[in-house]
Amino acid sequence: MASRIVSLKVNGQNEEFIVGALTSLQDILRDTLNYTSVKEGCRQGGCGSCSVIIDGELRLSCLTPVQEVDGSEVTTLEGLNQSNSIAALQQQFIDKYAAQCGFCTPGMMVAIQALLDRNPNPSRDEITEGLAGNICRCTGYLPIIKAVEGVVAEMSGASGD
Amino acid sequence: MAEYLQPGSLEEAAGMIASHGSSLAIVAGGTSAMRYSAPQAEHVMGVRGLGMNKIEHFSGGLSLGSGVTMSQIRESLPIPALQEAARGVGGPAVQNMATIGGNIFARQPYGDVAVVLLALDATVTFSTVNGEHTKKLEDFYASGAQADGLLTRIDCAAPGGELVYLKCGRRRFNSPTVIAVAACVGLDNGKVGNACIALGGAGKHPTRCAAAEKALIGEALGVASIRAAADQAAGACSPGTDSVASEWYRRRMIATYLTRALQQIAAG
Repeated sequence: MASRIVSLKVNGQNEEFIVGALTSLQDILRDTLNYTSVKEGCRQGGCGSCSVIIDGELRLSCLTPVQEVDGSEVTTLEGLNQSNSIAALQQQFIDKYAAQCGFCTPGMMVAIQALLDRNPNPSRDEITEGLAGNICRCTGYLPIIKAVEGVVAEMSGASGD
Repeated sequence: MAEYLQPGSLEEAAGMIASHGSSLAIVAGGTSAMRYSAPQAEHVMGVRGLGMNKIEHFSGGLSLGSGVTMSQIRESLPIPALQEAARGVGGPAVQNMATIGGNIFARQPYGDVAVVLLALDATVTFSTVNGEHTKKLEDFYASGAQADGLLTRIDCAAPGGELVYLKCGRRRFNSPTVIAVAACVGLDNGKVGNACIALGGAGKHPTRCAAAEKALIGEALGVASIRAAADQAAGACSPGTDSVASEWYRRRMIATYLTRALQQIAAG
């Protein structure tokens, strides 16, 4: 089987692998590189728990063949955490009780970051649509939406509630 | 485990399709192929590197590369019905990945964008080892949606009238389709001059509904003709039952949503 080298920049680190067979980006991130924030929920693109940012775009790592993202920059929740860009969002998640079991939380936070990167001042409707690909079975979504609204209010200088 | 192939050109891709036949799965965005076809295939061919993601405009019409994503459609196409259909496909991550070419092959209850393309009377162009060939999307579906070569391009003229797309889903965003309707109606002196009615969730593939079109052409677009078209569509369609909706419900929603779409057009 023809193999090739794939290089990625994951959370600022250069990484290289040899791959031949069909391999998902998720398998590399989670099993090879130990970025365990990349959750394996449904592996069908339905739950959003494996969401990552690839070259500035929100995508699902479970449905992405790693061969197709050769040379790309990939950001997982660990990367957002390192750069401290989500500290306010993390605090809002705590304040609004937006995490219960926590399984959806990493994908949710990555999706929120991608949403705010594109639209720093989303309406409630835009937040709902922006998180439509991320399933949460605990919270009923309202605390998560309120956490996003809290961050947006903080960023625009208003009070957080 | 499937061998992963990455052709460097359309010719090379066509060659791989010709030599591997049905043991080959094609992956573009991955949102459908990575679930259904690629895991079981002997060979998987990734086509993202082929640069088929260009949008070209010509005298009101469009030429869309088969790799154009739902997000590209939402952001850069001037046809609201197509934008709305793309908006209904998955969540934001899926929209950044899923392609228009993949949507044409998507199995029901997916494939909403193709419904609008049918109403626009689009053509599909395949690249094979013997060169390119183009056919109407309608004929492609009518003959069983069999790909011959690599789908490279979808072309459509500007809408020949008012174009409305409506989808019935289970929730507001990121919902599989109960049914979808796209209606393109051109009026001529108050009478329907041309009508193109396309349905999703009404059969194995997106389908044109000739019976409903016939009920409209030559008539004033009013209560009587709209009811006749909706009755024809409900009678002529052959929806299936799945976990999203029953055949019974789909048939009724086709009549309801086609009525709404035509009323919207009639109201201007």
